Amino acid sequence: MGRFLSLMIAGFTFIASTQGLAAREVQHELGTTTVADQPKRIVALEFSFVDSLAAVGVSPVGLTDDNKPERITKEYRDIIGNDFVSVGARKSPSLELIASLQPDLIIADKTRHSSAYKALSAIAPTIVLDSLTGNYQSALKQAQVIGDAIGKGKEMTARIAAHKARFEEVKAKVATAKKQGRTFQFGVVSSRGLYLHAPHSYNGSLLQALDLPLALSANGEGVSYESAYVKTTLEQLSQINPGVLLLGRYSTPALTDDWADEALFKSIDAVKNDQVYYVSGHTWARLRGVVAAEVTFDELVNAMDQVAKKDAK
Amino acid sequence: MIVKSFQWLTLLVALLLGAVLSLHVGGRADVGIADLLAVITHWDSPSLSQSIMVDIRLPRTLIAGLLGINMGLSGLILQAITRNNLASPSILGINQGAALGMTLAIMLPGFFPIADEAMAVLGALFAGILTFSFAGGLRAKVSPLRLILSGVAVGAFSFAMVRFSFTLDDEVSRDVILWTTGDVAGVRWHDTPLLLALSLFGIIASVLLAHRFNLLALGEAASQGVGANPHITLVLGALIAATLTGISVSVAGPIAFVGLVIPHLCRAMIGSNHRQLVPAVALGGAALMLYAEAFSKIVITGEELPLGVIAAIIGAPYFVYQALFSKEMGL
Amino acid sequence: MSALISSSLQQRSVIYLILLSALVLSCIWGLKIGAIAISPQVLANTLFNLDGPQQKYILLTSRAPRIVLALLTGGALAIAGSLIQAVIRNPLASPKVVGINSGAAFATCLMIALFPTMTLTNIPVVATLGGALAATIVLLGAHWRGLSPVRLALVGVAVGMLFDSGVDFYLVANTSPEKAAPMMWLTGSLWSRTWSHVEAVWLPIVLLSGLAFSLSYQLDILRLGDETAIGLGQRPALMRFIALLTATVLASISVGVVGVLGFVGLMAPHMATRLVGGQTRHMLPCAMLVGMLLVVLADCVGRALAPPIEVSAGVLTALFGAPFFIVLMLKSDRETTG
Repeated sequence: MGRFLSLMIAGFTFIASTQGLAAREVQHELGTTTVADQPKRIVALEFSFVDSLAAVGVSPVGLTDDNKPERITKEYRDIIGNDFVSVGARKSPSLELIASLQPDLIIADKTRHSSAYKALSAIAPTIVLDSLTGNYQSALKQAQVIGDAIGKGKEMTARIAAHKARFEEVKAKVATAKKQGRTFQFGVVSSRGLYLHAPHSYNGSLLQALDLPLALSANGEGVSYESAYVKTTLEQLSQINPGVLLLGRYSTPALTDDWADEALFKSIDAVKNDQVYYVSGHTWARLRGVVAAEVTFDELVNAMDQVAKKDAK
Repeated sequence: MIVKSFQWLTLLVALLLGAVLSLHVGGRADVGIADLLAVITHWDSPSLSQSIMVDIRLPRTLIAGLLGINMGLSGLILQAITRNNLASPSILGINQGAALGMTLAIMLPGFFPIADEAMAVLGALFAGILTFSFAGGLRAKVSPLRLILSGVAVGAFSFAMVRFSFTLDDEVSRDVILWTTGDVAGVRWHDTPLLLALSLFGIIASVLLAHRFNLLALGEAASQGVGANPHITLVLGALIAATLTGISVSVAGPIAFVGLVIPHLCRAMIGSNHRQLVPAVALGGAALMLYAEAFSKIVITGEELPLGVIAAIIGAPYFVYQALFSKEMGL
Repeated sequence: MSALISSSLQQRSVIYLILLSALVLSCIWGLKIGAIAISPQVLANTLFNLDGPQQKYILLTSRAPRIVLALLTGGALAIAGSLIQAVIRNPLASPKVVGINSGAAFATCLMIALFPTMTLTNIPVVATLGGALAATIVLLGAHWRGLSPVRLALVGVAVGMLFDSGVDFYLVANTSPEKAAPMMWLTGSLWSRTWSHVEAVWLPIVLLSGLAFSLSYQLDILRLGDETAIGLGQRPALMRFIALLTATVLASISVGVVGVLGFVGLMAPHMATRLVGGQTRHMLPCAMLVGMLLVVLADCVGRALAPPIEVSAGVLTALFGAPFFIVLMLKSDRETTG
C-alpha cells in the first residue's frame, strides 16, 4: 500500500513537472492565460513591463516607446540592448507589428489595452497587468508575476529581494532628512499645470513606503483625492505647504518658474527653506518597477542628503 | 420708457453677491472676505492671507467678471446683427475653433511663429467667418436652422481634431483638455489691463451702437429709412463681437453658453431695448461668471475645476429648455 | 433643388459600376497597406490558400475584419445620414444633429466614472445605448413640440451640447491619464477591432438597412409635402418618426462599435445626390456605397500615413469632410434651404 502511494505521488510529480516544462498557467487581471515555458519572444506594452524584463536580464523583441526612442532610457538599454522593435505608442500599439514579431508572450496594461485583449490574444498568449493605476507595492507584485510567466520566477524573487535590501538602505538614509512636522511631496510640472501625486499614486506610495510623510495626506485630512494626480493651484499649494518639494519638470520654463517671484510661493516652507529639488520627471512619473525605482532612489538620496546638509547649517 | 428699478436692483445685488462669494472661497480655507476688509485698513503691511486676497483672488474674480461681460456682450451683439436669438460663440462653432487653434499650438510646439493664445484667437476668428459664410453671410436675415447646422458642422470638425490630440501623449492630452475647458486658475494682475481695456471699449461701443441695433431689429428697410446704414452696423457689430470673444478666449480659453443665456434672461427681465440691454447684459454676464468661478473652486474638495466647464453645466440645460420652448423663430 | 433631377437607369448603372470597382480596389488596398508591407504574391497566396508564403494573421485576423467593419459602419452612417436629411429636409443635417455622438460619448464616460471596474470591452454596448437614448430624448422632445425640422435640429443640438458639457466635466474632473483612455475610442478608430465586433453588429446593420431601403419610396412621397402624402394615405408624422428611429439605431450602432466617424453621414448622401439625383430610392444605395468607400479609405490612409502610429479614421473623415463641406455650402448658397 505504502509503495503504491509513493508510486502514485511520484506519478503525479512527474505529470506536474512535465506540465511545468510545457506550459504554465498565469493569473492576471482579465483571467488566466496559458503561457509557454521559457517564452523567448516577448512584447511589452508598458514601460514597467520592460523594467521587469530588464530586472532579470531578458530583452523583449518588441516594446512601446511612444515613437520617442529616448523614453527607453540608458538604464534599460544597458541591459536589454537596442535590438528590439518599437511597436508604436502605448495608447495604440500596432497589432500588425506585434504579430510580425511572432511573439510567444504579450504583456499588456489593464487600462490601456483591455479593449484590445481579444485581438492581442489572437496573436499570442497575453497577460494583462495593472501598471498605469497601480502603486509601488503592486508594481513589485507584477514584476514577480512577469518573472514567473517567463520562467524566471527564482531570479525575479532574488532580484526583488536585492531591491528590497536597497530599499531598506535608502529608507535609513532618507530618514536623516526627516524632521518634526516636515512633509514631503512629489509632483510634475509643465508650463500649464502642477500635478501633485496623491498618496495612492505610484510615487506617493513609494515615498510613503520609505516612511516619508506626504504633504497631501498630512494636510488633506478628511479629503480623499480622487485623481492620482491632483492639479494644484498656487493657493492650494500654499495650503498643502510641503516642507520638501520634489518636482519632475516637463517643460522649461515651467509653471513653478513663473511663480518664483510671488510672495505666496515664497511663503511655502519648501521654497522658503530652499528645499525644492528638480528630479527626472520621466523616470519618476512614467517609468516604474524595480530598475526605475532604483534610479529614483539615487536621485532621492541625493536630494535628501542636501536636505540634511541644509538642516545642519 | 419705464425704469425697471426692481430688475436693475436684482442684477446689481446678484453681481455683488457673486463677487463676495467668488472672493470668499478658494484653495485656502483660512482666507476669506474678511481679509479684503483688512487689506483696506492695513494697506502698508499686508499679512500673507491679505496678499493672497490681493495677488490671487482679486485678479481671478476681476477676470471672471470681465469674461462674463465680454461673452455676454458678444452674444448680444451677434444676436442683434444676425437677428437670431440663438447666435452665440458656442453655437456658431467659434469656441470650438479657438480650441482647435490652441490644440494645434500645443501639439506642434514651435511650429507656428505666433504665441499659443494668438493661435486660439485666429482659430476663433476663422471658425466664426466659416460659420457665417456657410450660413449665408451677413447680408440677409440668416435662417436659424442654417446657422445652427453650420455651427454644428464647423464645431464637429474642430472637435474631431481636438480629440485626435487625446490619442497622442498623456501630457499633451491633459494640457489640451485643461485649456479647452476654460481655466482661469493661473491668472494674475498682469493679465488684467488688456482685458479690462477691451471690456470697457466693448461696453462703450455697444452703448453707442445700441440705437442702431434697435433699428436693425425693425428690419433693414426701416433701418435704412431713418438713415442708419445697416451694413455699417453689421460690420461694426461683427468686429466688436470678434474682438471681445478673441480676447476672452486668449485669456481663459473657450467659455460656453454665457453669450447665449445672459442676453435671453436679460431680455426677459428688461425688454428688448438695446440701450438698456447692453448694461444689463454686462451686469448679468459678470454675475453669472462670478458664481461659476466660485463653484469651480468648491465642487470638488481639494481640487479646482476649470471655469468653462461650470459655465457649460449651468448654460447647457438652459439651452435645452430654450430649444424646447422658444417661440422666437416662428416655431 | 437640382438634386431632384433624376438620372436615367443607364447612367445609374455606370455610376454603380464605377463605385463598386472603386470599393473593391480600395478594399484590396486596405489589405495591402499597414505597418507590415505585404506583396501581391503573399496577398494572393493567403486569400486563395495557395502554396508559398502566407500572412494569415495580418490579412485574415487583423486587416480583413477592419475592412468588413469599415464597410458596415460606413454604409450604416451613410444610410442614417440620408434618412435624417430626407426628414429634416436640410442638406446640413447629419447623425450628429440628433445628438447621437454626444450621447454615446457621455454614456461611455459615465460608465467609467460609475463602474471603474468594468473593462473597456463594454464600451460598444454602452455607447450604443447612450447614443440611442440621446436621440430618443431629442426625438420625443421634438415630437412633443410638433416635430418641425427646425425644432428637431435645435433640440438635437441643445441636447448634444448638454451631453458634451457632461463629457468635458468628466474629463477635467479626472485629470489622470487613465481616465482619458476612452477618448481613444471617441476619435473613431478601427484599431484592435476583430471578427467578434463584426459578428456583434452585422445582423442589426443589415436588417435596419433593409428597412431603410423599404422606406425609401414612402420618403419620396413625403418629399411632395405633407398634404400630398396624407392624400396618398400616409401618416407623415409617423413616417418621419420611423425613419428617424431607424437612422438613430443605425448610427448609434456604428458609433458604438468604432467611435465617432464625423461627416460620413453628412457627406455620403450629398455625393450620392450629385451622382444619381435626389430621389431617395435611387440615392440610398448609392449613398451606402459612397459611405463604405469613405470609411474604408479613411482607415487605409490612417494606417498608411505614419506606421506604426495609426491616425484615427474619424480624424481623416473630418479632414476630408471639412473642405467638402465648404464646397457644398458655397455651391448650395443660392439654393433654398430649410
